[in-house]
Amino acid sequence: MARAKQVSERDADGDVERVYHELRQVLRVTGVDVSLRLWAAFPRFFASMWEAMEPNVETRAFEEAADRLRDEALDAAAEWEELGAWDAVTLGPSQRFHVRGVLELYGALQPKVLLLASAVRLALVAEPVGRNAVPGAAERVERGAPARMAAMEWVSERPDDALLRSLFADIVKTVGQPGVPGEYRALALWPEYLEAAWSRLKPRMAEDDFVHAAEALGRSARREARALPYGVTLSREWVASQGEAAAAVFRVTDALERRLPMLLLNLAQLTLDAPEVERRPVPAASRLVPDWVAAGELR
Amino acid sequence: MNWREWQARQAVVELGDRFLSYVDLGTGRPVVMLHGIPTWSFLWSALAPALALTHRVLVPDLLGYGYSDRRDCFDRSVSRQAEVVDAWMDRLGVVDAVVVAHDVGGGVAQHLAVRFPRRVGRLCLMDSVCYDAWPLELMLQLGHPGAVRKLSAEAVQRLLKLGMRRGGFARAPPDGVIEGLLAPYATEVGKVSLVRNAVSLNTNHTLEVAPRLGHLGVPVLILWGEDDGFLPPKYGERLAWDIPGARYVKVPGAKHFVMWDAPHMVATELFRFLGVEAPAEAVERASASLPPP
Repeated sequence: MARAKQVSERDADGDVERVYHELRQVLRVTGVDVSLRLWAAFPRFFASMWEAMEPNVETRAFEEAADRLRDEALDAAAEWEELGAWDAVTLGPSQRFHVRGVLELYGALQPKVLLLASAVRLALVAEPVGRNAVPGAAERVERGAPARMAAMEWVSERPDDALLRSLFADIVKTVGQPGVPGEYRALALWPEYLEAAWSRLKPRMAEDDFVHAAEALGRSARREARALPYGVTLSREWVASQGEAAAAVFRVTDALERRLPMLLLNLAQLTLDAPEVERRPVPAASRLVPDWVAAGELR
Repeated sequence: MNWREWQARQAVVELGDRFLSYVDLGTGRPVVMLHGIPTWSFLWSALAPALALTHRVLVPDLLGYGYSDRRDCFDRSVSRQAEVVDAWMDRLGVVDAVVVAHDVGGGVAQHLAVRFPRRVGRLCLMDSVCYDAWPLELMLQLGHPGAVRKLSAEAVQRLLKLGMRRGGFARAPPDGVIEGLLAPYATEVGKVSLVRNAVSLNTNHTLEVAPRLGHLGVPVLILWGEDDGFLPPKYGERLAWDIPGARYVKVPGAKHFVMWDAPHMVATELFRFLGVEAPAEAVERASASLPPP
């Protein structure tokens, strides 16, 4: 797959800008990650996808399903030898604080993106998603990024630094397109650390244990997607009827769903390798709004 | 020291939901050094190690600057920054310090001295914002919320490098200094944070404390680049008139970034102000990274 287009937060307008704001609020993160920016390159699909998925994404059930996926990745990674990247580099205390912030930010976000990608992919191949609960029946969680969550800060996808360029090329070659995953672009702010981490992660990705764990995580994500509270009305035909290239949308979604379990397993190893990184970062409070408001918002 | 080496020396302290990164060097009576916009604590990377030969030197990145908290959800005015510096000093157990401040950091220092007087034992203002001398037009334009969309991070870097080279330095600083000063703002998050810092620049906040500067009651040194085109020396002179007993030193041949244009003279004046004889090594160290004239 060639380099796919992404829509930056700065360039987003119209429906994409609106959905980006909603995504940050509902996913409770400080920025819009690469995976979502790739989808946004298909703006009509993107808006329809969000309309179909938002009622699920803002529920406690979605949050808990994402927690289970994160736990599964962490449990798998806990079986493997310690990575040793954290101690291999000489970062200062403030730098380590920032790296921990990145790991917690992506630890909170990536399981949700995996679940979202699995649900969308299932819908695009006409498989059922959700259990058709009555609108407004499921508990919702509070909106907005937690006050202490790190900013989503990245190095350019085409950096000037030769070491980073070569690392990014190797990462994409290994985890697959489309684009350099956000967590690696964030960790590239500390090139030595990224190099130490990637040089240890890469060989493990070829091992049977890793491959099996990634496959299992992918299956779990689809199972969780099927069990979400609300039915999802989204299909390739609908995408095509909106004037979008349904095949291209599917290719991007399929590629994302395939690589996200690997990314989550790598993130889990980095999390376990770094002291004091929360396994379950920033748990969500319940959203305390009257039912009639909730039902109205669910349209 | 390059900016990455400086960054690696930074510690961090959490203050409620916010955090500050700072460098802590040496032992002895505390000296707090405050930077301005669009820089970060790296501004002091030549001078701070020199002062650390005789003092404990604490160099924070102000909130929203450098590698302190740069999330897009809080006030960055000099008034608020003074409260944060007070809380930070409290956390570090520093009761009072000699405060050395440049540019916007000078506005923070004025608020600190007026509103938290016990924190400031002595005050040195270098090419500091004051009265209605600021913000610069470039910063007003940068601070417009629309700048986030109009300008890429690369464009902002180009603009600021040009502005700093043309108006900030009397002579080219050592290699890597300008790039280092702007390094935290090279990303999109950094750029947005800089835009928010710029929109927080508010004349009213220095005018608010100006009438009380005459009652500071601590020794004050005012160092000013003679050729500073960003904040002309007349403002330094005005400060010297308004603050009883303040010593005013015009630094010949220096522009806004006086600590880089004339490190030898600035270091010598600071040691004199601190009441200690400047160790030869210290002045040498402050000037070490200076290229030949």
